[in-house]
Amino acid sequence: MKVEVEALHRKDCWWGAYEKIGALSIIGIDLTPDTVRESQALSWLCSEERVRWNGFQFSGPRRQFALTRAALRAVLCDRLECDNRQLTFGYTEYGKPFALISGESAGISFNVSHSGRYGLLALAPHGRIGVDVEERVVHHDIDGLSSAVFSPEEQTLLATASGQLKSRLFLDLWVMKEALIKAIGTGFYRNPALFEVPSLMRQGHGEGIFQFPEAPEVQWRLCNLGNDGFAAAVAHERNLDSAPIPEAGR
Amino acid sequence: MPSTEERIRQLVDDNLQIEGRPQGQPLNGESSLRDTGASSMAIVAFLVKLAQEFNLDAAPEEFAQIANIGALIEFIDARSG
Repeated sequence: MKVEVEALHRKDCWWGAYEKIGALSIIGIDLTPDTVRESQALSWLCSEERVRWNGFQFSGPRRQFALTRAALRAVLCDRLECDNRQLTFGYTEYGKPFALISGESAGISFNVSHSGRYGLLALAPHGRIGVDVEERVVHHDIDGLSSAVFSPEEQTLLATASGQLKSRLFLDLWVMKEALIKAIGTGFYRNPALFEVPSLMRQGHGEGIFQFPEAPEVQWRLCNLGNDGFAAAVAHERNLDSAPIPEAGR
Repeated sequence: MPSTEERIRQLVDDNLQIEGRPQGQPLNGESSLRDTGASSMAIVAFLVKLAQEFNLDAAPEEFAQIANIGALIEFIDARSG
């Protein structure tokens, strides 16, 4: 039953290639309300996933979960050449999912994120990976949020901006931070105010190298994926033999 | 004076944005904040308001370890009591 592979070629497919960065593939997922797609998506989920879907109290999270998880299943089945029924998910201590085929590690890295109508799936053959997306909507308490998640230097940078520029910078910084804490698998169990986004990326460069202060031996490739509709970033653990990234950024 | 639970429920109602949630509809007390389906940003924003309301000095990672709304009430009662 490889319905997912067939769906990849259908016109009403709600996901598709968004960007390719070296070995990284970024898939965009359309989370616009659509009862036909939601019904299709739900039919691809396993019993445990349907229990989780049913546990969401409200319609928005239910839709986002079903469409995102079904797209993830479809893409993974295609990449791994497996049947949907063989594919299951395990979870790390902090809840980050990983793929299993017939109970064995699938040997692929992925991470998903969604916000409003937008979802992103990041995939790589190896290396830890984290992605975050935030719809560009107005946030009324940027200063309050900034003090919770940004370093003093990042807060100072935000304080110099105003209006739409401030809102844009705030979201761009946020998704870079969250992509990094998702990549290491802790999410907000790790205090994001205790590390800083690379200075060149704070100034608008599209790509940079990041190291957590307590683990400088591990390098992360951090890329801005945003557009006018959403802010987004991906963080991917680099191999020691990775090619250098151009200073001018992407 | 409203109880901690009543104050939290009011904060949730006023601040925790979740698509499809009718105004005033309470959250399931056994749900984790993550399982409400609220975005991470909405959750952090809510927790910032919560910390202000209860005059708490708690980092995001402390709140991240709280399992559900019921545990959140216990956490706040312990910290502010």
